[in-house]
Amino acid sequence: MEDKAWGYCSSEEDVDDNNTDLHLQNASDDEQNHHFSSHSFPKFQPRVAKSKGVWKDEIGMAEIIEKNGKMWVTTGICRSNKTYSSIEETVYLMELGALQLLEDGGDRSLSLVDMYQKVLGRTRGCCWEQFEVYRHLKYLGYIVGRHGVFWSLKGIRSSHKTVTLEDSKESKQLVDMGCKVELPIDDLFNELQINDLRPDFDVYPPNSRFKKSSPGDPSFLLYLARSHPPSRTGIEIEALEKQCDGIPLKIGRVTGGQVSFFSFDKVELPVLP
Amino acid sequence: MLPRWKGKDKKAKKGAEAEALREPMSKIISQLQSSLLQSEACGFLSDNNVQLAVASEQIDLLDKACFGQPVRTVEKDVVWFQLSLEEAFYLCYHLKCLKIKDGGSGIQSDEELWTKIKSKNKTFPYFYKAYSHLRMKNWVVRPGALYGVDFVVYRHHPARVHSEYGALVLSHDDDKDLNGRLNVWSDIHCTTRLLGGVAKILLVLYINRNGNKDDSPLCLANYTVQERTITRWIPEQSREKGSSC
Repeated sequence: MEDKAWGYCSSEEDVDDNNTDLHLQNASDDEQNHHFSSHSFPKFQPRVAKSKGVWKDEIGMAEIIEKNGKMWVTTGICRSNKTYSSIEETVYLMELGALQLLEDGGDRSLSLVDMYQKVLGRTRGCCWEQFEVYRHLKYLGYIVGRHGVFWSLKGIRSSHKTVTLEDSKESKQLVDMGCKVELPIDDLFNELQINDLRPDFDVYPPNSRFKKSSPGDPSFLLYLARSHPPSRTGIEIEALEKQCDGIPLKIGRVTGGQVSFFSFDKVELPVLP
Repeated sequence: MLPRWKGKDKKAKKGAEAEALREPMSKIISQLQSSLLQSEACGFLSDNNVQLAVASEQIDLLDKACFGQPVRTVEKDVVWFQLSLEEAFYLCYHLKCLKIKDGGSGIQSDEELWTKIKSKNKTFPYFYKAYSHLRMKNWVVRPGALYGVDFVVYRHHPARVHSEYGALVLSHDDDKDLNGRLNVWSDIHCTTRLLGGVAKILLVLYINRNGNKDDSPLCLANYTVQERTITRWIPEQSREKGSSC
């Protein structure tokens, strides 16, 4: 990003009366996405010690059998002393060269292409746009988890004792490894029922002291917009906010490989004198 | 974003802010109201605005309160002001300080005027609700076409302060497509980008009729308004600030 060799599209910004100091918001846009030439294209150093995982197709997650590196502090969920990574986490780590993935029950390694195809198949509770949003935030150091999926059950037993979940609901939560209900592909394009709207990710700010057992509240919940803006924005945003428990909501939007985020915040303009 | 008072330097900006405090908009509006009442002001309805002839002291008040636009004519003692329908109806229905005639049929009752305006402009009930909602909170509301929005919203007179919001009026329940805004993402990108470039925030006013019709201006009392700002969040710039987002 620092390498801004392509100066041709620098700002010819809107000129209002006297707001020369006001372009901060958009300034970064012009600096992004301009690394065409190979020398400035970001490449990752392959890691020496990779982690190892086994892809479990039936739960749509990888079971991690060998952990190397600090990323596991903020990646994967813990269930009965095992760590599982979701498809977006798995693919992201494979892109970084940090994870070797094996087929379940076999010795064959799964390639990035195999996994991309699984993402594109939209069957693992994650579509390509969701993956792009996940990757975008991870590059920047944010900590991202599937919405409503506990990082670890330890935290829940200790700190959420007062929360009385119905038995059935609790056991469902325990079994729920993070995959959304698998939606038929059509539904992802059609308008979802208002009541089915739910945030996609819980996003935490970069934090070197993050703990899965006590993650705290996310700084916001992220809903990935489907093809059009919420057509009845008022109603749809409200329906989403209801599931946010007072945590801010942001809407993510991916197009042409660009990821952008919007807040639709309820405000109340003050009564002026 | 803090209000941006106008002035060459810090001192002048402070000065503008102090002046605004000394002369709050509510006071200006009530001066205008009593002046128009006293002179029994009466405008007439033309196509999509209201023409009002005023004498010199009211020119000043209308200007200070930011209602309408003066029209240059050769007439000496009188200045014509052209009021938008929202402005005119606000003076007439809410402040009760303006009567409005319609060509042949004389002075209009609130109901008659409402029906006439509405027949020309179906979105009027929503736009008027939005306009009056902000005006009643003493914000100054001006047409926003130059910024690609329905209204621009000022904290005080535009001579003293830059507008803080560009406002769009949307229907909460979307029973009818009001003005087709924000239905596609490119429009959201476009509007936030444009307004961001001129230091304004996109304010969306969702008007909820709560199942009420719009037969009479009395219905307006049952409409509710939800205010939301739409802003772009840039993760690259928010990393260090931690919780602020």
